Amino acid sequence: MQPTSKLGGSALKARTFGSMGTVISLTVPAGAVPGIAGDGERELDATAAAVERVFARADETFSLYRPDSEASRLARGELSLRDSSAGMRDRYAEALSWRLMTEGSFSPERPDGVLDLSGIIKGHAIGQAGEALRSRGITDWCLNAGGDVLVMGSPVPGSGASWAAGVVDPLDRSALLSAYGLGGPGTRRALATSGSAERGDHIWTAGCRGVEFAQVSVAAADIVTADVLATAIVAGGTAMLHRATDGWDIDVLAVRRTGELLATPGFRD
Amino acid sequence: MRTRAAVSAALASAGILIAGWQSGVHTADTSSSVASAATGTTGAEALGPDDSTASSGSSGAGTTGASGTTGASAKAVGTYAGSVVQTRFGSVQVQITVQAGKITDVTALQLTDAERRSVQISNRAAPLLRAEVLQSQSADVQTISGATVTSDAYLNSLQAALDAANL
Repeated sequence: MQPTSKLGGSALKARTFGSMGTVISLTVPAGAVPGIAGDGERELDATAAAVERVFARADETFSLYRPDSEASRLARGELSLRDSSAGMRDRYAEALSWRLMTEGSFSPERPDGVLDLSGIIKGHAIGQAGEALRSRGITDWCLNAGGDVLVMGSPVPGSGASWAAGVVDPLDRSALLSAYGLGGPGTRRALATSGSAERGDHIWTAGCRGVEFAQVSVAAADIVTADVLATAIVAGGTAMLHRATDGWDIDVLAVRRTGELLATPGFRD
Repeated sequence: MRTRAAVSAALASAGILIAGWQSGVHTADTSSSVASAATGTTGAEALGPDDSTASSGSSGAGTTGASGTTGASAKAVGTYAGSVVQTRFGSVQVQITVQAGKITDVTALQLTDAERRSVQISNRAAPLLRAEVLQSQSADVQTISGATVTSDAYLNSLQAALDAANL
């Protein structure tokens, strides 16, 4: 199939697969995967399969919608944290430290007490998939897992150009609100967006005031930080927004329920 | 960019200045917690907080309004230099111009050049007009960030359109 998207003369190639209840997209410049420019696209297929395995492993262990997952056995009380896998305990400890750092805006526990680590599991899987790509010698790529993005390098290898990530308008999901340059010469490689009407709803707000923000996008150096802080700001409102921008090196684009926008300088350029 | 950054950083300082002005504790005593933040001057000349040559003696008296009245904050005209504030990005000092009790201008007197991001004196999120970002709708993007979509919703998403174009 002929690629239809051209950027500076360099075509992009994409592969998609389903995992964690959403769709994951891997996009690379045509020349970024060894062999891809040659006879076929088998190399890209193999690369996408390696990425898919990373997500599948995380999904098997941590998904609550799989009754046989370790997370589900924990939720049902069949397994205690003490007896759970090292990976589970590591993620739990990490989630607890995020809860401290966000003063409770991010929490690994649902209001009903069930442990739900989905707030950091997807970010971790994206980061691990990125390592898998790097270990295969691929240094220019863009991973998108249901709207959370991690990139490396450039869409035009060697050009230094950033990957341009559009941010969806929550009031009209067929339109873009803004765009943000990831990777390239910048240090911010990750962009995560959380919404107050989000699937899985791992956002629980304190009090009955209701959420202030319809959508929050956070750009950071790593995807877990971006994802956790986007979630925390939706849950914690303006106060958490200011804590996040004061305490972390991030950019934020927040959309109030009225449609009003709040943006840090990085989203104004 | 520089102006916007200065404006957002100045609002906090300006708030303190106005509060001090209206509460009538605007004195020449630079050790006072409120008055030390600003020195009222006549004209548009910028003065640092330590420059007492043109400092006001009492509430409102240091500023001559365009209407000729003094002491009426609602008609006050003047420029005020804020105190030097230490930020994550270095030392920052701003000056505001007040007319009829409203801030009409904010200028940066001091911005550090210690880092590349020196002009970014605050990274706080500030209101942004949709008109300012509308042009990005037509931007050439390679990926789309949005609140998590389900596998079903993906089919109608912008990301799906991008992926289909690159398959």
